[in-house]
Order: sequence, then structure tokens, then C-alpha cells
Amino acid sequence: MSGGARELVLSPGPHLHADVSTSRIMWTVNAALAPAALWGAFVFGWNALAVIAAAIAGAAGSEWLVARWQKRPHPLRDGSAVCTGLLLAMTLPPLVPWWTAVLGAAFAILVVKAMFGGLGYNLFNPALAGRAFMMATFPLAMTAGWAAPRAGFTVALDGLTTPTPLAVLKEQGLEAAFRTLTAAGSPWASLVLGFRPGSIGEGSVVLLALGAAVLVARGIIRLTIPLAVLAGTAIATAFSGAPLLHLLSGGLWLGAFFMATDYVTAPTTRDGQLVFGLVIGLLTGLIRVFGGYPEGICYAILIANTLTPALNLWFRPKRVALAGTPS
Amino acid sequence: MAHVTLPTFGRGGIHPEPHKEATAGKPIESLPAPHEVWLPLHQHLGEPATPIVKKGDLVVRGQKIAEGGATGVPLHATITGKVKPLDKRPHPTDVLAPAIVIARADGPEELEFPEDPAWTSLGRDEMIARVREAGIVGLGGAAFPTWRKLMLPPRVKVDTLVVNGAECEPYLTADFRTMIAHPREIVDGALLLARIVGAERVLIGIEHDKLEAKWWLDQAIGTTALEGIPVRVQPVQVRYPQGAERQLVQAVTGRVVPARALPTAVGVLVQNVATAAAVYEAVRFRRPLLDRVLTVTGPGVARPRNVRAPLGTLLGEIVAFCGGASPDVTRIVAGGPMMGRALPRLDLPLVKGMNGLVLLTGKGPFEDGYGPCIHCARCIEACPLGLEPDAVSVRVEAGRPLETEPYGALDCYECGSCSYSCPAGRPLVQFMQVAKASLRRQAALRAAS
Repeated sequence: MSGGARELVLSPGPHLHADVSTSRIMWTVNAALAPAALWGAFVFGWNALAVIAAAIAGAAGSEWLVARWQKRPHPLRDGSAVCTGLLLAMTLPPLVPWWTAVLGAAFAILVVKAMFGGLGYNLFNPALAGRAFMMATFPLAMTAGWAAPRAGFTVALDGLTTPTPLAVLKEQGLEAAFRTLTAAGSPWASLVLGFRPGSIGEGSVVLLALGAAVLVARGIIRLTIPLAVLAGTAIATAFSGAPLLHLLSGGLWLGAFFMATDYVTAPTTRDGQLVFGLVIGLLTGLIRVFGGYPEGICYAILIANTLTPALNLWFRPKRVALAGTPS
Repeated sequence: MAHVTLPTFGRGGIHPEPHKEATAGKPIESLPAPHEVWLPLHQHLGEPATPIVKKGDLVVRGQKIAEGGATGVPLHATITGKVKPLDKRPHPTDVLAPAIVIARADGPEELEFPEDPAWTSLGRDEMIARVREAGIVGLGGAAFPTWRKLMLPPRVKVDTLVVNGAECEPYLTADFRTMIAHPREIVDGALLLARIVGAERVLIGIEHDKLEAKWWLDQAIGTTALEGIPVRVQPVQVRYPQGAERQLVQAVTGRVVPARALPTAVGVLVQNVATAAAVYEAVRFRRPLLDRVLTVTGPGVARPRNVRAPLGTLLGEIVAFCGGASPDVTRIVAGGPMMGRALPRLDLPLVKGMNGLVLLTGKGPFEDGYGPCIHCARCIEACPLGLEPDAVSVRVEAGRPLETEPYGALDCYECGSCSYSCPAGRPLVQFMQVAKASLRRQAALRAAS
């Protein structure tokens, strides 16, 4: 008789598993973000690279500390802390002091994520909450740290700052805004390629779209939320005279494809996601056109995050023939 | 587009690797009669059978050795031999259970089962009695006594008999090969079943990757002696859990079975292809259920095969017939790998409901623990019933299983699509089981007070 197998596993079924894991998802997101982040470092110079490194180190270090305290092994293997740090850095102005990014990342991980229960339990997107924390604590650096785009690692830290197109649009109007967009020849090319003042990772619409395409192809994100965000923004800015400028500016693409799609803080059903995305888009446009800030995506997503539990309650998956219902 | 969209169920489902290529092309091979069989008295739903033989009796293959009682089915000797003392033996589902053990001895190979010439014109009650006497249970894995399924309550009307040849579990090909080897028996058995329940049509549902079986079944449909009820083979999409009763019913009839209800609620009765073939043998020849076909496969088997073996054969002998198990086997799954049960060893008997033996190697799911729910919604999308395994799992984890009812815990039939899809490797089916048990216990306590 055969059957001499040793160490048999008696776990319940299923005994097969899809080729998918949390860490694979997170590292794929990180890889999808990397080109746009590196482009930001390339365009804005060494300080941008330092900020990226500092935010990742701050997030990873904080996660490591929490895990050590909780005696949880392999805190960084799932890639979620690195993702938070990278996303935070990509939303920051290129000229912020690197150590502020460490503090912002630490706040994101320690307060926004760990204190709410860790991975899967946070109400707010940690990276964006970290950015909001920095807006409150380092308002000057966060609103004036914009660098003019240059090609190559050539920017010396000379404190020479330049306003973003959205800030110019808010204060001086449409024509002035277009005058800031000269680096790549035409204003539209400057916007799409990312040759324009702005946050480190938000500039290159092309590279962000490429990264998002990878995530869609891998089945990691669906387009429901991002398209709803873009649609909402288009609706809210339709009568501002520059809807297309709004759609290609600021952190809209980074936020729509990489932050509003965060599983933990977004609704789970398609209908809920549609409403969630529209709310984000509308709020973004309203803040930009009528609010006190030139940019709105960060607060729009944070506000919409608070709706997620309610949206999950209101928009449930359709049950297949509940008991007692005639079919 | 050249292809026609085939019917399937309404939502959810998954597409695991089929892994059927190792055995799909191999005809059924019969295991030589084993030296000993262990026949557990309880290998069906309902009360255990009561032995009618005693130690030392010589029994012939096919002879009844235990009575089924009011809710179970009788048991028959599957080899000719001597009855050993009644004893408890390891059982694939229980730890130890009473079993009749027969040691092979010389004697007639098998009782004779002559054809009943009147088999095509028997009454309903006589047919059900023969099915019952033959010890037939659902051979697709459920092992519910078939005669009980056929005793429809007075108000229930069935117009369609659905024969389940979907075989959606990965690795398994036993039903596929049975359809190729015994199309005649399946079609005639289905027609007898349709007559019993008063169905006006028979639909045989097979997944699209088994079209070879459709050709054979169509030949049998064209030549059957049982006339009057139309039979059609309906290919459906390859999609797990297409072979679950309610999913198959929706695919081939378009009717949606309400949650927690039986398909008879929408006028449909479902029978597995192997069960239909057994019914044919029982009605035409009064031949009891003595063997079953199972697929022995997986990376841990030297020569994967479709095997016909006498019930009660030790699984180790069946695996040895297939070249033996490799030393790096980590899981022995009885049934398919999605819903099957992991066995602790191979010295267990083949029972009526076991349609496969899948020997897996390497690390499986849940062995490294699991992570927190990241609310990716893959489980929600995979669930064929529209339930929310994520919401159930986090509530069970938080010690609040009684709050899971709104998320559908009680409707879950544990197909495993959610667990299969979970990137955090969460055992979502087990969370569902905990939730169900807690909710049922609470309901029972309420009813008692």
C-alpha cells in the first residue's frame, strides 16, 4: 500500500488559490507609480528625490516601529507602507524640506493608519491625511515650495520658486495661467508631459495614465472611480472657462487613479464607487473654482472617505433571489 | 464574432485553472477486486444502515448486507467474501464509524441481475422502490438518498429534469468520462427520473469544454427506447461553480432558485449524470450501486486515471493502482479541490459520494496565516449569490458573528469562490461557517425559549 505521505495538511477548502496577494497588489501599485515619481525627480531636481526618499523612509520606519510594538513579523513585506510614503511624496511640492516629509509620513502611518487599526481599518487615505497634516503644520513650505520645471538634475536649491498653473489661474486668470506653461513648447504639451510647476508626482499625465493602464490590465483597479472623478471635475468646472485646463492640472490624475481607488477607503460596490468618484470630482471642481485653495483633490478625497461606510451601507451587492422572493 | 454566447449563471464565479488535461483523455479503468472492503454504515445523509449479516457470513457481490431504514439507504456487498466482526473503522468524514468489513473469498463473482422486460412501463412507486433498494445516493458529492429527492411533496410540481454534467471542479473528469462511456445509461436513466417526477423535458447541462460528451449523449438520445419526453444537451459556459445546483438551473432554464430553497421551488429537479446511470441500472436490472467512478489525479499521483472501484475499497489501493503517491504530497483532497475535504490519510474507504481524489503538492492556501481584509471587493465580485464575505469575515473576526445575517451568511453554500479570490488569503468560507453556526444556534435558542 502506498500512502506514506507525511505532514499532510488538513486545512478546509478551497485547496486552490488565485495567483493574487496583498503584497503583490501593493508592490504592483508602487511599480506603477515609480515612473511618474522618477519623472518628478528628473524635472524638479535633487530635492524632489530627497523628499521621495524621506517620505518612504518615514512611512516604512513608522510601520516598522508599530509592527515591532505589536510583535508582528515582516511589516514591510506587504508594500503598503512604502506605497503610503511614495504617494505622500508625490503630492508634495518639490522644494519642501525633506524632514517635513518624514513627519508627514509618520503622521500618516502612526495616527491615520495604525491608530485606526492598521491595514484595512483606516477611514482616511493615509497619504492624503499626511499631506493635510503638513498643510496645517508647514503651511508656508506646502504652498510656496513649487519649483520651475527643468530638464535634468540641475536645479540648485536656490529658493527660486514659481506658482503652479492652478494658483495663477485662481489669482490672475486663464491667460496668465497659460503663460506659465511654456517649458515644453505648447501649453498642452507642458501639461500632458509634466513640464509644469506642481507637486512632485502629479505632473506627467502620460506616465500616470501608463501606470494606471498597468493596474487596470492587471485587474487591480477598475475605471469606475477614476472616470467618475474626471467626470465630476469636468461637470463642476464646465462653466469656469477652462475645464480642460482643470482636467489636466494639479493632482487630479494622481488622485483619481491612485488615491481614490485605494481599496480600504473606497466603497466596495460599483454603484457606491460611482457616487464616490462623482462626489470627489464635484468637490474638486468646486474647491478649485469657488474655494480658498487653487487645488482641491486632496480634500475632496478625504471628505469622500468619510462617506465610504455610508455608501457601503446604501449600495449593496444585489442578492441573487433572496429567500421567499418569487423569481 | 464566430462564437455564440453560451448560457451561464447570473453573477460572480471564478475561472480557476482547469487542470483536467491529465485525465480528460483517459477512459475509465476498472480496479481489480480488492482483498478487503470497509463499508461504513453511514455514507449518505439520513439514518445509518442497519446490518443484516453477521460475522463469518459468506456474502456475494451485489447482496444486501444492511437495511436503510426510514430515511437512509441499504448497503450491498461490493466484493464476494466473508464478513468480519462488525467494527469501527476510519471514515472519510467521521473519525471512526461502524463499518461492515468483507474479506475477499472464493465464490460466485456477482449475483445475477437479469433484465426486467417490463422496465420501460413501470409505475412511479415501483421505480422509486427500486432506486431506494439499490442504495443510490447523489453521486455528485452530496450523497443525499435519491429516493427521498424523488418523493416530491404533494404541492410541488416539477416540469424540468436537469441532469448535471457540468463537472466544474478543477481536476475532475469522472463525470466527463462517464458521459462518454455510458451515454445510453445516462439518457435512459434521466428519462426514467423524468417519468418518476412527472417532468416534461430533460436538459443535460455540460460545460463547454466537454463537447465530446455531447456527441455521445446525442447518439443515445436518438436511439432511446423511452419515448415521449424530449431530451436536450445544453452546453454552458466554463465557469466555477457552474455545477452547483442553483447555478446550473439558472444557466439551462433561466430560472433563479431562491436562496435557501431547493430547485423544486422553480419546478426543477437536478440529478448528477452518474446518479442517472445508476438509476437506469437499478430500474432495468435491479442492480444495486456497487462501484463508483472517481478521478485520481493531481501533481502527487504518478499515473492520474479515471478509476471504477468497488465501494469500500481503501483509497491507498486506488492510489497504488494509479502508480502511487509521490512523497511530497501535502494534501489529499476527497472530491474536487474547491469544495473537497482534506483527508488525514489514505487508509480510508471509498464511499458513495467521493467523485475524486486529488493529491496536491507544495504549499496551499491558508498555510502562512492570513492578512487583514483590505476591502478590495474581489470576494463580493466572485460570490455567485451576491453575498458580502468581506463584511461577514470582519464581523466574525471582531467576535460579532450574530451581526452577519444582513450580509448573507445564512445563504452561503460554501463554493469557495471568495476564499479562492482573496488576496489576503483569508479563509472566508470558514468565517461564513462560523457565522452560520452562530446564527443557527441563536435561532435555536430563541425557538426554545
